[in-house]
Amino acid sequence: MTGASGVPAEPMRPVLGELPHRPRPAWRRTWAMVPIALFLVALFLYPVAQLLWLSIFDKSGGLTGDHYQRLFLSPVYLQVLRITLEVAGWTTALCILGGYPIAYLLATASRRTRDSLILWVLLPFWTSFLVRTFAWIVLLGRNGALNSALQTIGLTEEPTAFLYNMTGVMVGMVHALMPIAVLTMLSVMENIDRNLVPAAATMGARGGEAFWRIYFPLSLPGVAAAGLLVFITAIGFFITPALLGAPQQTMIAQIIIQQVMEMLNYPFAGAIAMLLLVTAIAVFYLYDRALGMSTLAGEATTGQLGGGTRGLVGRVFAGIGTLLTAALGRVTDGIAILWEALAGGRVDRPPRASGRVPLRVAVVLLLIFLAGPSFIIVPVSFTTEGFIEWPPKGISLKWYWAMINDQQWTKAIFRSLIVGFFTACLAMALGGPAAFFLARRRFAGKTAALAFILSPLILPRIVIAVALFYFYARLGLVDTELGLVLGHTVLALPYVVITVMAVLKNYDQRLDQAAASLGASPPRVLWYITVPVIKSGLIAAFLFAFVTSFDELTIALFMSSGISTTLPKQMWDDAIMKVSPLLAAVSTVLLFFVTLVILTAEYFQRRAGAKR
Amino acid sequence: MTQDKRGHSKLDLTRRRVLKIGAAAAVLAPTYWKQASAQEKRILIRDPGGPYAPGFKEAFYEPFTKATGIEAVGLQGQHEPTSLIKGMVDTKTYTWDMALLSKAASHQLVTEGQGYLEKLNVKTKYLDSTPAEYKTDYFAGNNVFATIFAYRTDAFEGKGIAPPKTWADLFDLKKFPGRRCLRKHPFDTIEQALLADGVPLDKLYPLDFDRAYKKLNAVKKDIAVWWTGGAQTSQLLKTGEVDICATWNARAQAAIDDGAKVKIVWDQHLWTPEGWNILKGTPKADMCREFIKFAVDPARQAVYTKHLGYGPTHPDAYKTIPAERAKVLPTAPEYQKSRTEIDYEFWAKVKDKEVERFNAWILG
Repeated sequence: MTGASGVPAEPMRPVLGELPHRPRPAWRRTWAMVPIALFLVALFLYPVAQLLWLSIFDKSGGLTGDHYQRLFLSPVYLQVLRITLEVAGWTTALCILGGYPIAYLLATASRRTRDSLILWVLLPFWTSFLVRTFAWIVLLGRNGALNSALQTIGLTEEPTAFLYNMTGVMVGMVHALMPIAVLTMLSVMENIDRNLVPAAATMGARGGEAFWRIYFPLSLPGVAAAGLLVFITAIGFFITPALLGAPQQTMIAQIIIQQVMEMLNYPFAGAIAMLLLVTAIAVFYLYDRALGMSTLAGEATTGQLGGGTRGLVGRVFAGIGTLLTAALGRVTDGIAILWEALAGGRVDRPPRASGRVPLRVAVVLLLIFLAGPSFIIVPVSFTTEGFIEWPPKGISLKWYWAMINDQQWTKAIFRSLIVGFFTACLAMALGGPAAFFLARRRFAGKTAALAFILSPLILPRIVIAVALFYFYARLGLVDTELGLVLGHTVLALPYVVITVMAVLKNYDQRLDQAAASLGASPPRVLWYITVPVIKSGLIAAFLFAFVTSFDELTIALFMSSGISTTLPKQMWDDAIMKVSPLLAAVSTVLLFFVTLVILTAEYFQRRAGAKR
Repeated sequence: MTQDKRGHSKLDLTRRRVLKIGAAAAVLAPTYWKQASAQEKRILIRDPGGPYAPGFKEAFYEPFTKATGIEAVGLQGQHEPTSLIKGMVDTKTYTWDMALLSKAASHQLVTEGQGYLEKLNVKTKYLDSTPAEYKTDYFAGNNVFATIFAYRTDAFEGKGIAPPKTWADLFDLKKFPGRRCLRKHPFDTIEQALLADGVPLDKLYPLDFDRAYKKLNAVKKDIAVWWTGGAQTSQLLKTGEVDICATWNARAQAAIDDGAKVKIVWDQHLWTPEGWNILKGTPKADMCREFIKFAVDPARQAVYTKHLGYGPTHPDAYKTIPAERAKVLPTAPEYQKSRTEIDYEFWAKVKDKEVERFNAWILG
């Protein structure tokens, strides 16, 4: 696939007599769905149900309302819920506000501009979440980079308090979630016909009018979807408010963690988790009532995820699914561009001149906001001091030596790579066949099946993590690599399924039929035709699963407390226990690694272009 | 997907085989991991991280491994990890075999439920000669830490303002301007508020919570940062993010050792010992006992004070600590006058209720 997302997706073709075959028994027709279903039931549905069960029934099996009584009678928990909704609401609003211009510019820019700009959106996406939070501490501190700069140029006399308040939390959370908003809105904007705005202009509309009356309404589904995704992700946050906020910004996930880690009160943690879950479902419901998920799904892409009358939940999931498909399709394209650049050769569209200076300035500023913090950590890592501080003093490699000489760190890096690799393999093995099945077959309950596979994405991660921890403790899986791989696979599966489905959506099935008509058996068709054509999409799915695991902290927080820490967990421990520049050194190495991949890709891309 | 030239059946077989192997691996793996961990000559020891890590590495972990061939691995764990330990003992998944804990945490783990710690049963002359207040049947004292406050000298002496000298000064924002930092926990913070309100050291317990909250209410909106982890306070003091910070002495010392312009106020400090504990039922209990015998040697305790500013529990340690360094340690004679021990038995009775009350208070 050559990143053909600018072109509207091909309509579903009638399936021309799906390869001749004997009627097969039901289990043979659905085998592709069996492993993934069993896996999710065992490692997702059952543990979560068990956790919720704990909150309703006491030890002897009798029904109890104690935990819910405590939840609603104490002022703490409802207040934390209110704070959580407030923080998530503001985060959503700011992400949309900031993300819209970026998405707009990306959607309307030339292919070349877009490809290079999207890397800047993706860079923070690839940089460890904790590292970015720490970069903000360095940047926004009372004596941090921003305050020093403001005082030097004389804008302020006293340091401004950016940290340990709502401002700090907002900066951190918006920064973390804006890439998701951009990618989601972009996926909708790219399907808006580029000729509509010029058409409006020929009828006499000025730029502003054409934008607000034609373009903006068409892009609204993307805005709404981005809002929903950002909001749902935001209500499960705990790192940012813990490190950048004050007690007044305590969020619900922090309280759940406290109940499990400090109090070991699973039933009550289950009750709070239930509150979070109900909130998430209520948000979906309100969203559907207010904005209409189903029309959204229909407009966004093809509405292939099922038709006719569906229940609310079905429609909700179909909407989310379609939009995620589209958003991840975008990311897939980004990765595919990299891959193709590495492999060489691709066709560019001629660049389009445009003089939209203010928009570009705004976008450049926003991109600096997005990518800048990733780089601030570099100078800090060379300090000779014992703490992360601005400005860094002296130049030394001592923190790099400390990293190399500390077995905890080297082992953690190694373990994260291993766990990420096996997670990606397992997720591909389970999710790949399911994605083929879902993309190519029509069957009753397809929406429900997809909804089930996507639900780990929609349920706040903290709930899954606590549920798995409780479940694993009985199996002796806590602190094992196997446990981590299984847990991460639950989270990676939705990404794999969606990414592979997105690739298959653009795949011309007549190629398979042609091969089959020439006598190729289904496995040969798969291996010699389908797989090579969608290779970059499969690689993207694999990388997605890998990164999901590699940057995962929530499950690791519970599951790798001792000798078997993963890299994000090790970084978290260091952030909480030590706060040494070693953290900056590790981050710099990671950043260097990611940048190297991107630059290599660009280099090969240019070289391939020059040859032609 | 494997490359396959003969077609359908082989692919199917491969798939089945893969599933079988996967299933078998999934069933067997936990047993394998458990066995592996029981046989190894390795003990996993929880320590609180930060300056503890390099201190204990040099004083205990490395020399112990060299002397006995048993690998001692220090693992950082959150503050007062009693719940984690209960979870480990209940499920017999020993993420840690032993732990450095405060006497309060140790007391809680011994008295709750069926008990979560092994009896030490360690017989060695150094443990025998350790003062009684630093040991129990389950707890071998290692260090004493002090809850103090520290201030940035450049915020006071540098500006010609008299620096704060008492807890009352910390709570007095008019006479002593500057950004304050308190602990986001009722432990320490309640005591500090009461001392600031004029309660004498020897009348502190039982704590008068209502009086403490009244005092805290007066300054609540002026507290710039509420910290959650000790390392945070070193960072906050070092970078000058706050001017006055209630913390533990070694955390302030870590900033001072790194060149920060920070001074510690020792008057009216609270102290409590930390020591070694063995998790109940760990298969490595005897190796842990070896470690404790090794670690209570005062000459070895003296080594960690290079990195960690807490006071050794064995008085003989001071024989090998340089006089300059001894001055910053809580068990040094000059700091024995104005101090009191934290009453962990009192806290054990009210902890759960008071943590919830504090959480509610701080949100409001």
